[in-house]
Amino acid sequence: MFHYDAIDTAMVADRNAEFRDQVQRRLSGDLTEDQFKPLRLMNGLYLQLHSYMLRVAIPYGALTSAKMRALAHVARRWDKGYGHFTTRQNVQFHWIRLSDTPDVLDYLATAELHAIQTSGNCIRNTTSDPFAGAAAEEVDDPRVWSEVIRQWSTFHPEFTYLPRKFKIAVTASPQDRTAARAHDIGLVLRRNRDGRLGFEVIVGGGMGRTPYIGSTIREHLPAEHLLSYLTAILRVYNRFGRRDNLYKARIKILVASLGAAEFASQVDAEWDAMDRPRLDLPDIELARIRASFGLVPFRTMPPRSERFEAARSDPAFARFARNNVVPHKIPGYGIVQVSLKGIGEVPGDCSADQMEVLADLAERHGHGEIRVTHEQNLVLPHVPLDEVPALHAGLAAAGLATPNINLVSDMIACPGLDYCALANARAIPVAQAISRTFADPARAERIGELKIKISGCINACGHHHVGHIGILGVDKKGEEFYQLTLGGSGAEDAAIGHVLGPALGADKVADAIDKLVEAYLAIRQPDERFLDTYRRTGVGPFKAAVYPDAHQA
Amino acid sequence: MSEALKVLTANDLAGGQVVFLSEAGWSDRYADAVIFDDAAAADAALEAARAATLTLADPYLIDVAAVDGLPVPTSYRERIRALGPTIHPDMGPQADGGVLVHALQQARGAARSSGRLGLIRRK
Repeated sequence: MFHYDAIDTAMVADRNAEFRDQVQRRLSGDLTEDQFKPLRLMNGLYLQLHSYMLRVAIPYGALTSAKMRALAHVARRWDKGYGHFTTRQNVQFHWIRLSDTPDVLDYLATAELHAIQTSGNCIRNTTSDPFAGAAAEEVDDPRVWSEVIRQWSTFHPEFTYLPRKFKIAVTASPQDRTAARAHDIGLVLRRNRDGRLGFEVIVGGGMGRTPYIGSTIREHLPAEHLLSYLTAILRVYNRFGRRDNLYKARIKILVASLGAAEFASQVDAEWDAMDRPRLDLPDIELARIRASFGLVPFRTMPPRSERFEAARSDPAFARFARNNVVPHKIPGYGIVQVSLKGIGEVPGDCSADQMEVLADLAERHGHGEIRVTHEQNLVLPHVPLDEVPALHAGLAAAGLATPNINLVSDMIACPGLDYCALANARAIPVAQAISRTFADPARAERIGELKIKISGCINACGHHHVGHIGILGVDKKGEEFYQLTLGGSGAEDAAIGHVLGPALGADKVADAIDKLVEAYLAIRQPDERFLDTYRRTGVGPFKAAVYPDAHQA
Repeated sequence: MSEALKVLTANDLAGGQVVFLSEAGWSDRYADAVIFDDAAAADAALEAARAATLTLADPYLIDVAAVDGLPVPTSYRERIRALGPTIHPDMGPQADGGVLVHALQQARGAARSSGRLGLIRRK
């Protein structure tokens, strides 16, 4: 786990002191709301429907037990006892007072946490693989490169006032758990035939009202040139990205309007002209960052755990083992995924009590490490298989052992109109209704992998465009309606979903999902996921299931 | 056709909670809100609220319809804002309950006026 050095600590302390002064000046009237609002946002504090919301950064989704306890303390002392993990691997507190925020930020700093880069038109918190350092197939630890990007981008003077926000994802595994192709820049780390590390550089992905899957502009950028090449991309964007129209300001619009090839050639021209050695990271600095993560003291153990296998006689544990535990790169260890999608619960929400349980369990069984996934779940990345039964019992006692990872009830949902001032419709109650419809865990397992993603407005924080089934809330003449899309994916087989048909009323959505699932079960071939069946058959059978009258005509 | 009714709302600057202009200053309770049926008076109150920059953020007027004699915000967004998150009935002003909270919770879609306003004093 990365630890701050003296420079990091001083930077966060300075920033907090500056914001404390700004808050004080706003409350005393020396700053107007118009002057203050951009400063507040640059410190992660939004004014939402019912209250201020503080978004706390969790760089590349990596937490320790100590950090999780700090979040629990914030939830309990300054909020209503819970927090909400987001699709950006961050955490949001929805009931924070402006006047308390400087104290909250000072407290978070004691645990090496902050709210920098969680808002504003800057380079935001880098998304990374929640299995980093644990996945067998990864070619390097993507956290190291994410931390390089964090240090390079934090308060970067040239890139603090971009045309629009900017999100980068880094993954080092073939299986993409970061939605890299839906980011402004997606970086996929690979080794080439010579064994050299390099990034596939994907640019111009994004969601929102104009969704795009990113285009690859370089197949294998030598890893040591990452920062100069990122600088070249950001410079082209900063120069030509549109500032006249909020809806056309993201880099995806620039890449789409120029074409990926032309965009790539402009980046290359910029890159060729620059003084790369001044911009690229010296090897010694990369080594320092790598070392600052430390080493997990893995033990040598047999690959098969008798205790783990024996525990499978408990059907609840067996189900948890099948769905929530995946192999680790070290024999005898497992990666344990903790679902924040209890049946009928709010996706991504976690109470202060649960946070503390997780902190304790991670310390006891998982080397004190916890990760946040972009699918709003948590991961204990390094758990000895021998200890998974005890961990499972601890999770179950705290209501955290729902065995539904990647299954139909493991939905993404944005906060929607229950909290968000931008939303057009609620998202959480729709997720809850679907979750209850598929409460039977045996049926959920029969259905298999199915990713439902729900957004309460076209800004698409709930990633609906890349859901196998996407659900978008819209306001239709003063009523909440929901538009379904099918066939999206945020993984390595990324795709944007297609609209199924006319929007449905709120009380019809869960039933429509049920019909889609039944249609899939009726026509699927062996080993086909919902997405595979959709891709094979096209929309026909699914449209007929939800809109039978339209098809009879 | 009943007259256009308005309520003046904002967020409290220091706390962030939703507030409504009442007879006795700003209140956390929608039930306390003054119901304006005079557009000029509502606009004047909005101007005054905009000047109160030391205590308020983002004041604005919302449309209200008289439903069974009770003033109900026309849009579901404003009803949720007046109640609190629908997924947590114990949070926000809705936790206090009452006739008006119940009326807001029961309203669906775009609330339409169904007659004259009964219970709440107008301005």
